[in-house]
Amino acid sequence: MTTYFIRRFLLIIPTFLGITLVTFLILQIVPGGPLEMELMKIRMGGSDGVSESGSTSGSTQNIPQSAIEELQKFYGFDKPIHERYILWLGNLLKLDLGKSYVYSEPVMDVITSRFPISIYFGLIGFILTYIVCIPLGVYKAVKNGSKFDFITSALVFAGYAIPGFAFGALMLVLFGGGSFWDVFPLGGFRSSDYETLSLSGKIWDQIHHTILPVASYMIGSFATLTILTKNSVIENLSQDYIRTAFSKGLTEKRVIFGHALRNSLIPISTGLGHAISLVLAGSILIEKVFNINGIGLLSYDSIIQRDYPVVMGILVISTLLLLVGNILSDILYAIVDPRIRFK
Amino acid sequence: MHKKLVEIKNLKTYFFVEDTEKQKSLHQEISDPALMDLYKTDKYLKNKVPAKAVDDVSFDIYEGEVLGIVGESGSGKSVTAYSITRLIPDPPGKIVSGEIIFKGKDLLKISFEEMKKYRGNEISMIFQEPMTSLNPVMKIGDQIMEAILNHEEIPKEKAEKKAIEMLTLVGIPSPEKRLKDYPHQFSGGMRQRVMIAMALALHPSLLIADEPTTALDVTIQAQILELMLRLKKEREDSAILLITHNLGVVAETCDRVIVMYGGKIQEISEVDPLFEKPLHPYTVGLLSSLPNPDLPMEELKAIPGNIPHILELPKACKFNTRCTKAFDKCFETEPELLEVEKNRFVRCHLYENEK
Repeated sequence: MTTYFIRRFLLIIPTFLGITLVTFLILQIVPGGPLEMELMKIRMGGSDGVSESGSTSGSTQNIPQSAIEELQKFYGFDKPIHERYILWLGNLLKLDLGKSYVYSEPVMDVITSRFPISIYFGLIGFILTYIVCIPLGVYKAVKNGSKFDFITSALVFAGYAIPGFAFGALMLVLFGGGSFWDVFPLGGFRSSDYETLSLSGKIWDQIHHTILPVASYMIGSFATLTILTKNSVIENLSQDYIRTAFSKGLTEKRVIFGHALRNSLIPISTGLGHAISLVLAGSILIEKVFNINGIGLLSYDSIIQRDYPVVMGILVISTLLLLVGNILSDILYAIVDPRIRFK
Repeated sequence: MHKKLVEIKNLKTYFFVEDTEKQKSLHQEISDPALMDLYKTDKYLKNKVPAKAVDDVSFDIYEGEVLGIVGESGSGKSVTAYSITRLIPDPPGKIVSGEIIFKGKDLLKISFEEMKKYRGNEISMIFQEPMTSLNPVMKIGDQIMEAILNHEEIPKEKAEKKAIEMLTLVGIPSPEKRLKDYPHQFSGGMRQRVMIAMALALHPSLLIADEPTTALDVTIQAQILELMLRLKKEREDSAILLITHNLGVVAETCDRVIVMYGGKIQEISEVDPLFEKPLHPYTVGLLSSLPNPDLPMEELKAIPGNIPHILELPKACKFNTRCTKAFDKCFETEPELLEVEKNRFVRCHLYENEK
């Protein structure tokens, strides 16, 4: 089995190269790169100066050729694209992701400053989902067909049908202090006066800012996990070994938690590895809605602003997380199910 | 004869299935007060009709005997057995009425909590499918120990010792090591041995074996049966209730046999007389459908037709649709279970005049 996992880890290398190569090419071929943006800025600035003269049609003639070349050199566009990729890859091996065009800081610093925020929201949402959904799924399985089962299913599916960002926006309208109730802050990670608050005030402020975004994170995954757990438990409860367990005189609780649930966790645990990459990657739309400065918002802004080094940096990290997460899933699978032995 | 270990009286176990057509005419037909009460009190039964899987079954199990129940699939033999430990899935199944008196106590009257003290301790079970009857993600040692620790308050080490002892007893080599193996690391026959070890770990008075050898190779079948009988001998007063459709198994292992058809007992007999001179036409049919090596292949006689659907069972004699000897009365009234000889009962109009 060790050789299997070593092979899986080695396979990360070609997969990783493929993903970064394709993204790198697409990113740089798509028109409207940083060079064009910079030129536009200069032109806009120029047109600002001459706006009174009524000239709206800016032209490159205003910018000297030498300046353009200098800019090209600054962004590295004076070299052909394959050379740029290899250069980028070489730097990556030295753990150098380059410098952000927008923030003029090393990409690594830009990303790591955002990571804790995304991890905070992602992890809380993730843990809460598992804490709520698994017991709920088990209870629904045991009470299958009851009124409780019916009502929770309706709620859970309604939640599934609403996209997280839309739910977030709705919550902000309702509870964000607009036309309805002023219960929760409009967004952000913490209040601006956070540092001046007492400890309990800090904790409350943090929780206050956490509830709505986390609810939006969770609402989609809620249905999948709850129903997966429920179906899995129901399926296992009808298995022969459950009858054996009952025939041993075990209590219902013990049969469900000691026997049925353990088997039901097999399909659920395989999702865990994959979920880790989702947690860290953040959710672009929800971070946008709540104005949270996490990885999701960073990658959104970087793409809009054509901040290539940051986009590639985030891609590198999320790709690695996804690939490692997949292997983690396999390892978890092998741990919870003794019948699984990878070759 | 030995003392009675279990006395089953008028056991009725029904499964309630949805059938709006039949439901309409049902209420006029119910004559059984217990069933009537159930319909009055249980909302779940609305729109449902009873499928009478076990219908008014009475028999005794004596200490020290091996009692067989034979019959085709759907004859009610397994449901009878599961009723004893109240392992009938509810819904859809319900034990409607009857008594199951085990060592002087009616198991149908005690609470579920109390019932758990009997299961696995006084009454153990072995099932048909050794491949799926063990929890696939639990070490077999833990599964055996779980059964022991559930009923006895002893330290874990002692339970482990006992589990090893049991595995040795059922013939599993190097039990200390195998204790830490998972079910998938065992063959079918070995798994059934584990099941037996688990079932007998607490020396139950009654072992219910539901087709324990059906899923196994013929050579393994003999070993498993022999093992069950050998272990039973270690406790003189314990009994085995063996459910099977294999008459060969009955001939080899049982002291007495119950033949079931359509949820009713059709014949009760000691083994040798049954094979020498079967009385009920159904028993005759079962015996003659056994392959006889002396006869050419073509002479294999099957009972004509199939067992009717449980909701379509005939009103009078349950076997009248397939019986070669059926006459008018068989379609009019249901025969009683008559004692035609000592310890020999048969439910058939053919034998009514012999009394």
